[in-house]
Amino acid sequence: MDPGVRLMERVAARDVGAFEALYDGYHRLVFGIGLRMLGDPAAAEDLTQTVFMKLWTAPEAFRGGSFVAWVSRVARNRALDVLRSKAVHPEIEIPADLPLEGALDDDVFSRLDAQRVRDALSTLPPEQRALIELGFFGGVTHQELARRTDTPLGTVKTRIRSGLRRMRETLGERVSR
Amino acid sequence: MNEPANRAELMESVALYALGVLPREEAALIAAFIANDLEARREYLDLRAAADALAHSAEEPVDSATSSRMKERLMARVRATPPGETVRTRAQAAYPAWIWGSGLATAAAVVISVLTAAQDFNLRADLRTAQSRIQVLSAQNRQIERVAAQDRRTLTDLLAPDAKRYEVAAGTVVVRRDRIYFAFSKLPAPPKGHVYQAWTAAKGAPGMAPSVTFAPNADGVAVVALPVDATRVGAVAVSVEPDGGSKAPTTTPTFVKPLT
Repeated sequence: MDPGVRLMERVAARDVGAFEALYDGYHRLVFGIGLRMLGDPAAAEDLTQTVFMKLWTAPEAFRGGSFVAWVSRVARNRALDVLRSKAVHPEIEIPADLPLEGALDDDVFSRLDAQRVRDALSTLPPEQRALIELGFFGGVTHQELARRTDTPLGTVKTRIRSGLRRMRETLGERVSR
Repeated sequence: MNEPANRAELMESVALYALGVLPREEAALIAAFIANDLEARREYLDLRAAADALAHSAEEPVDSATSSRMKERLMARVRATPPGETVRTRAQAAYPAWIWGSGLATAAAVVISVLTAAQDFNLRADLRTAQSRIQVLSAQNRQIERVAAQDRRTLTDLLAPDAKRYEVAAGTVVVRRDRIYFAFSKLPAPPKGHVYQAWTAAKGAPGMAPSVTFAPNADGVAVVALPVDATRVGAVAVSVEPDGGSKAPTTTPTFVKPLT
């Protein structure tokens, strides 16, 4: 089981020690997402504070599943809020954080790390990788991706779909080794 | 919604939804599609796992000085936050916790009473300005939270496996608990000077009551929540009406759907 899940149970019981352990284990991930999306260490630091304070004050917002996947989405949503507040990004929607029957992310996430994901990304053709990374970390819509990369919309859709499928296959192989 | 050509288009967008690059209205539409289509749901779960994994690639080593400073700041706030206290906004967080809520008036009164008359005047003015500003920010924050909560509820309802779905021209009627939504994917723009209007018929009642008016976006997408208690509604309909809506349908409805 994702150790974050057990720690969140203790955080919900107001265990400061568990919260500290949660911070020690996951602040690099949250800070990294903030830095990648906002491009500014001070903004990434603020984002890290906001995300972890949310974990402390509203632990009930975590409703099971993979903690890493959930906290990543919280961090990404918060970064998107910051980007939107600069009024240069449209309202895009991150998939709702719903408990989904048969979700695979719990199993995959519990055995992933940064290097494995970077390795999997490096196996993608550059044009697929660029669209996926810009879409995920850039906070832009698919139309904007098409415009920025001067690529037809249909091609953008196909490349993202193929790239994510390839990522999923590669990650599945790697974590089962 | 599930006609073959349209379905293929929707399937293509599942990956975009998993990656989180769809605008809000299209995302709601795809969420409804995924909830209603087993193959789409399977694809979504697979691709979302890959998309979520991308976050890992951003993980950065944080230098020990920054890490310690962030942790010190955070733990100070955590220890100052009593159990059960809700998240404070960024504007609120800029002030010490003790001056918030009911403590504000008391603290202000103590401070003001020990100052000179001149200082007293300036401080009162500053305090009034700060209080007004706080009220405005609080109201804005409440409004943003309400909208976000409503959006989350709409997405949850559209995705929910226990929602009832009724196929209609250009989209789907989704009913969950006491709520009704229209999710259109290919709704033509209404004629100039006209809008679409929703109608509801109470169970056992012969006539239609007017509901909200709406128009699709440039891609023909519209997601509409009807302000009505679904448990009392026996049928819904949509017609094209002049701007501002009508008290009774003036054109043949584009669909009438009994909610059985």
